[in-house]
Amino acid sequence: MPNRRASRNAYYFFVQEKIPELRRRGLPVARVPDAIPYCSADWAKPNVSIPLRRPGMLAPRQTVSPPDMSTLTLKSDQALLGSIFYFLNIFSHGELPPHCEQRFLPCEIGCVKYSLQEGIMADFHCFINPGEIPRGFRFHCQAASDSSHKIPISNFEFGRDQATVLKSLYRFIHPNSGNWPPIYCKSDDRARVNWCLKHMARVSEIRQNLELLTVEDLVVGIYQKKFHKEPSKTWVRSLLDVAMWDYSSNTRCKWHEENDTLFCALAVCKKVAYCISNSLATLFGIQLTGAHVPLQDYEASNSVTPKMVVLDAGRFQKLRVESPGFSHFNSSNQDQRSYTPTGDYPSGVKISGQNSSVRGRGITRLLESISNSSSNIHKFSNCETSLSPYMSQKDGYKSFSSFS
Amino acid sequence: MSGRARVRARGIARSPGAAGVGRMQASPQPPSVDLSDSEGSCSRGPVDANKISQQRKETVSPGDTGSTFVEGGMKIRQDFVDLDICTREKLAHVRDCKTGSSGIPVKLATNLFQLDLPQDWQLYQYHVTYSPDLASRRLRIALLYGHHKLSNKAKAFDGAILFLSQQLEEKVTELSSETQRGETVKITITLTRKLPSSSPVSIQVFNIIFKKILKKLSMYQIGRNFYKPSEPLKIPQHKLTLWPGFAVSIAYFESRLLFSADVSFKVLRNETVLEFMSDLCHRAGASGFTQMCEKQLIGLIVLTRYNNKTYRVDDIDWSVRVTHSFQKRDGTEITYVDYYKEQYDITLSDLNQPVLVSLLKSKRNDSAEARVVHLIPELCFLTGLSDQATSDFQLMKAVAEETRLSPMGRQQRLARLADDIQRNKDARFELETWGLHFGSQMSLTGRVVPPEKILLQDHICQPMSAADWSKDIRTCKILSAQALEKWLLLCGSRAENVTESFLSCLRRVGSSMGFGVGYPKIIKVQENPAAFLRAIQQHVDPGVQLVMCILPSNQKNYYDAIKKYLSTDCPVPSQCVLARTLNKQGMMMSIATKIAMQMTCKLGGELWAVEIPLKSLMVVGIDVCKDAFSKNMAVVGFVASVNPQVTRWFSRCILQRTTADVADCLKVFMTGALNKWYKYNHSLPARVIVYRDGVGDGQLKTVNEYEVPQLLSTVTESHSNTSSRLSVVVVRKRCMPRFFTERNHTLQNPPLGTVVDSEATRREWYDFYLISQTACRGTVNPTYYNVIYDDNGLKPDHMQRLTFKMCHLYYNWQGLISIPAPCQYAHKLTFLVAQSIHKEPSLELANSLFYL
Repeated sequence: MPNRRASRNAYYFFVQEKIPELRRRGLPVARVPDAIPYCSADWAKPNVSIPLRRPGMLAPRQTVSPPDMSTLTLKSDQALLGSIFYFLNIFSHGELPPHCEQRFLPCEIGCVKYSLQEGIMADFHCFINPGEIPRGFRFHCQAASDSSHKIPISNFEFGRDQATVLKSLYRFIHPNSGNWPPIYCKSDDRARVNWCLKHMARVSEIRQNLELLTVEDLVVGIYQKKFHKEPSKTWVRSLLDVAMWDYSSNTRCKWHEENDTLFCALAVCKKVAYCISNSLATLFGIQLTGAHVPLQDYEASNSVTPKMVVLDAGRFQKLRVESPGFSHFNSSNQDQRSYTPTGDYPSGVKISGQNSSVRGRGITRLLESISNSSSNIHKFSNCETSLSPYMSQKDGYKSFSSFS
Repeated sequence: MSGRARVRARGIARSPGAAGVGRMQASPQPPSVDLSDSEGSCSRGPVDANKISQQRKETVSPGDTGSTFVEGGMKIRQDFVDLDICTREKLAHVRDCKTGSSGIPVKLATNLFQLDLPQDWQLYQYHVTYSPDLASRRLRIALLYGHHKLSNKAKAFDGAILFLSQQLEEKVTELSSETQRGETVKITITLTRKLPSSSPVSIQVFNIIFKKILKKLSMYQIGRNFYKPSEPLKIPQHKLTLWPGFAVSIAYFESRLLFSADVSFKVLRNETVLEFMSDLCHRAGASGFTQMCEKQLIGLIVLTRYNNKTYRVDDIDWSVRVTHSFQKRDGTEITYVDYYKEQYDITLSDLNQPVLVSLLKSKRNDSAEARVVHLIPELCFLTGLSDQATSDFQLMKAVAEETRLSPMGRQQRLARLADDIQRNKDARFELETWGLHFGSQMSLTGRVVPPEKILLQDHICQPMSAADWSKDIRTCKILSAQALEKWLLLCGSRAENVTESFLSCLRRVGSSMGFGVGYPKIIKVQENPAAFLRAIQQHVDPGVQLVMCILPSNQKNYYDAIKKYLSTDCPVPSQCVLARTLNKQGMMMSIATKIAMQMTCKLGGELWAVEIPLKSLMVVGIDVCKDAFSKNMAVVGFVASVNPQVTRWFSRCILQRTTADVADCLKVFMTGALNKWYKYNHSLPARVIVYRDGVGDGQLKTVNEYEVPQLLSTVTESHSNTSSRLSVVVVRKRCMPRFFTERNHTLQNPPLGTVVDSEATRREWYDFYLISQTACRGTVNPTYYNVIYDDNGLKPDHMQRLTFKMCHLYYNWQGLISIPAPCQYAHKLTFLVAQSIHKEPSLELANSLFYL
């Protein structure tokens, strides 16, 4: 056939779609040209839906279910505050084209256990062995990795096999009474996370139907429950997409922290938790602790200044420099990132209660430190502005930003 | 210049579904598959192969408009889409004449050549059917070409459609031919239509003819351009070879058919992949060699000399040896060694080398299964320049010396090409059989518009050279500046000593230009992005006007983290300076001046102006580019002037999810800009002129039919009584024509402000070329302007001069730039968002040029 790349326009596909129907009507249509005379009238109709791509090429689209808040049993604020959510993310070495059987190559997983009351209660992080890279896609995967999480595509020492990772994840989520809690991820990542979970389950032959919902819907749901108003999607998105925690300590996994790469599956989950804490938990009047947002970075500002000298009016003025920078998170990092299983918990899991020194007291210390200094005013300003359309600051509950 | 860049660009354009890679693991297809597909050097098949090989490229396929072409014709085809749009006929004031008259006439030589045709020349399009039907296109072509009745006619045939320059006697011609197997095939040739020489189909056929002719001049097509491997330029000290070549195209210009050619070079490395591998093995040792190899080689573009084609290395298959065999398309098994011996008479020396794997883009329908090619490292040459090479100053200098041709050098190469085409017997014969005559190089008359005066606060300056007026305005005060009183300066611990001297310098130059710089709060931080970000979060409070960061290195994450936080989360203008820049002691004054100017703009100040004769004119620049992370996100930047002096700007940027570079959000932008204008001027602008950059080949139609209505509806809806008048100008930095002036018996670049609005322009458009930049080396590139919508009814003269004025207003450069300032601002904005922020910047910054 010479005409291989002939223009296959929308009309072509429209006609192609009509062929089975025409055949049912008993018309002798073998190919698209035969069917054209019968279709022209339909095409002219105004409300014809035109498939933009060839139907066979369409990737199976998951129907995103509306948020089912009944599962949360949000009978009262108290129940909502105590209910536990899991935020999950799985990174892949790029996305392969739709006709490939393997669409993603899972390489990193991060999950946090969170409640509005307690903040981050535990976290789970693992690197995954992505398996063999499909032949010919090494460049594609390498490029995808280089532009984001920078995890090596092969021979990565920390990568663990998918069955183990999945088992550890299940143990981390650990349902008490058979009923698996819903898991949340950002809507942009949902297709990938879902595919990876299914793929890993297939590979490791563990069947467990986790329900994957989107964080955006969760935020909308909580907001609705509390204020009986629906926030705009844009507001929710901007609430979750914030750069301020990018470099916060104790947010990325150890490997990404050491390599100073922002893209980390664990960091994505933790940042979701921070954002929800910073904007929603405050609406419930919860005092933020170190488990809600990385307070330690900010309280460190005046007491343990990491070798910082503030020069004012041209005069040098040495502040305290004796304390080495970031000792704080170095120490807190050591126990949590060990890859050996500890006690009853699967490997990669860290329970924040183990170093509870920060929890609960963080905000008091923060307030103290803020009162000592006037330079902390504008700190979390964006959260304040983002809330303003819905909440006036006089409501009694104040977001983190307005404490100063 | 670099093949890598080109291929990358192609890769980006590829839609995710296009690369067919379904069953690729099954059995890798042999190289023969794709070689025989597009290269004519192999002689197989049952019929006369010479004819096939010539014919394979020039495949033309039918389509309703006749402009769908198969092989490598992407660019041309896209151009044709553009050609169908006739915007000029709708613009009443330029329907008869679109040329201006002001300025000094200047005689210009061009890179365009006349192509003459007989008055009554026509192209005859035939439809060809075979009985019995033949599936093989090659067989179809061979049978037709082999037939004596057509043998001495000029023709182009793709297997179904035949183009002839002479009409056959009958409308339907029946021929019969015999295959090698002895079957008799009846060929029916039916005339479908006659086309004039100006029709897009004819233009495409002319392009095909010239492809054929360039091949006869022993040039090879690589990508879109043609190169001559027989006359390489060698740069032995850097192990590089340059192949000279041309980008050519035939198009219908203002009044006639013209052939345009531009010089192009292909950069090759004098090293095969095998040599590269063994070198690497020596250096790195056997341990970790495969990983090292994969790291260094994957993603590079290689060229195989036996067929002069380029491939990207997508993978390396260490398990396959060249002594292994693969299955050819006809089912027979052959080893790689034997295949290359048989097909190309190449003997492979290293029998233990692995094979490189390259993924082919399927040219047919994307439903086709995966196609991978196995390439032999020994036969693959590395092309393009690695990142390491591009950062090597000496190497780039050596390459630039060869590739950046002066107007004279360029003219010599062009003259030689013209000479070759006219002298080569085969080429001349090909042209003659089609009835074409390759004429002389065209020269035309342009005009140099008068230079502009630069208006400063208390001084009007007539610069010595419009290319750079930094010396002329050194002592002058800028138009307006907000004093900088409360600001932060963050520096890395090692940059402390330079900071003080820089600050005093900055304050000195600031006061001389009328920009008061107060003493900042200086914060010394550790040298890592987290420390910078944290210090900013702690110290930025609402009163802070600007944050300056002196960065210890040009690592992207410092810049990204700072810009991201300060443009979205906490909107404060920021200025990043590399510590290394401040270490250049001798240049401190000029560096401080430039930084002071940038800071002024970031605070909303105005530096200089030009005289704008139109009262109440809003100038808008739009640019679109792709996000660096997710290729399916387009970043649209919009910058509009908000005062009649065109010195203050309103800038917005939106990320939209699309695959095409078309803006959806212009209504929002335009409404915002008009509201801003109303707020400052208490009326609406009488005229709006939009400069749209970033329009690719074939997108003109979309811009015309999708973007213009968005702008128009906003402008007309805004206020019913006084509606603004709109013009939309498409700006293109890349265009085929080049212009040279003759002075003192040599060719030189034309002077700044040269306008060309005749002969090299298109008949169906209201367009012109403007030279508003200087090239200190090489040949200057004119900028092409196409006015696709115009309510303002400005005379062409005024439109051209206004555009020239706009090129003076880019505050980051004290001189003329190649495109109108609002376009450059929009480009800067989209670049910042696409590279660093990946998010819509805060609206609080929209009134200042925070992205400079």
